[in-house]
Amino acid sequence: MYNPKDIIDVIGANVRMTRNPFGIPKFLVNSWHQDLHPPQKGEAMLFTGLMYQFVPYIETSTDYLARFEDSDWSQYLRYARYMPGYLSGLGLALLTPGSQKRKYNAILQNIVRILAASRVSFFYRPELDDYSGVLLYDLGDQDAFVQHARYVAAKLKKAGIRKLITVDPHTTYALKVLFPKYVEAEFDVTPYVELINLHSHNGTRRVTLHDPCFYGRYLAVSDTPRRVLSNMGIDCVNVRNSGSFTSCCGGPAESISPKLSDQIVRKRIDELKSTGEPIVAMCPICLGNLRKAGANVEDLANVIAAGING
Amino acid sequence: MARIETAFIEDMKPFGEDVAAACFNCGTCAAICPLVSDHFPRKIIRYVQIGAKDRILEHSRDLWQCLHCGLCTQTCPRGANPGEIILSLKRYVVANWRRS
Repeated sequence: MYNPKDIIDVIGANVRMTRNPFGIPKFLVNSWHQDLHPPQKGEAMLFTGLMYQFVPYIETSTDYLARFEDSDWSQYLRYARYMPGYLSGLGLALLTPGSQKRKYNAILQNIVRILAASRVSFFYRPELDDYSGVLLYDLGDQDAFVQHARYVAAKLKKAGIRKLITVDPHTTYALKVLFPKYVEAEFDVTPYVELINLHSHNGTRRVTLHDPCFYGRYLAVSDTPRRVLSNMGIDCVNVRNSGSFTSCCGGPAESISPKLSDQIVRKRIDELKSTGEPIVAMCPICLGNLRKAGANVEDLANVIAAGING
Repeated sequence: MARIETAFIEDMKPFGEDVAAACFNCGTCAAICPLVSDHFPRKIIRYVQIGAKDRILEHSRDLWQCLHCGLCTQTCPRGANPGEIILSLKRYVVANWRRS
């Protein structure tokens, strides 16, 4: 296990300097929309919170953290906060394979296709799409979270944004629950899954859903993806720990202790595999962590988009 | 030996919900926690109740093993919100680091 203070100091410094936890310049992280040209006008703004875009970088950084955890080298992490965030961020960006970045960008592109096919009126403005700061909150760095959340909320308010469509449970929770509570910023926040209105009777597939903790418990929206899949002709085979009693994938521990994260995800994979059906996730952190441990997992957006195309 | 300071629950108020006093130490949280580690979080909540600040700071690393998954809060029979207590303690410890 790493010293939490070292991790918190590095992440806090990166968010202060670059507005994201890895220090990577935003134009390098947020490129998924460039070839797709999503609508620029509509009722609600698509707000990705950059979480799907971060997953390839999380994989690279946790791979390095796993190599040095509990070794004599781990104590040198404390000096990382003295390195300018954008320098370490550029290094991380160079070490991260393009194929991984394209894989996670494709999920966001599929979400745009799903919203368009569901006739949802939405638009995307990349300059307003920022990281929510939720990791700072989870790590207990409340001052840094509040400071960053104020920055994000003020930008959205200044642009006159009131309705947001989110794509992951962590950003959804931050905007829906934490922003009103801690920075008095109220937005009308809807996860994209709740807006899907697609029907297909061609499918005869069965899948096992891994409910993320923030959808299963904190936001209690586990029924929605099951209904959406059912409308697409896809049945869900539940494991015992699902819905509001879902089991964590271990992802939240991956920066502090990759070993602990690995122990927890392996237990969860065993349970998910027990049904014998393909595993589907709907959170970038869960998806990345389950895949990193060797599970064959697909994102919900890819499954639904395949249904549209098929 | 830990020194008992019942006023500590008051000191914790700026850092989160005031719910630690509701806990009756049944251990449901420790049984359901995916960490299954040394009576976590039951033991550390007991430290809050008796105001064992030194013990909390001594075991502060344990707080960051918490996944914030919410299973303990979902199953707590007293509505003591163990997950929120752990998050409040993280904030307390971070504030302590920043002060020192």
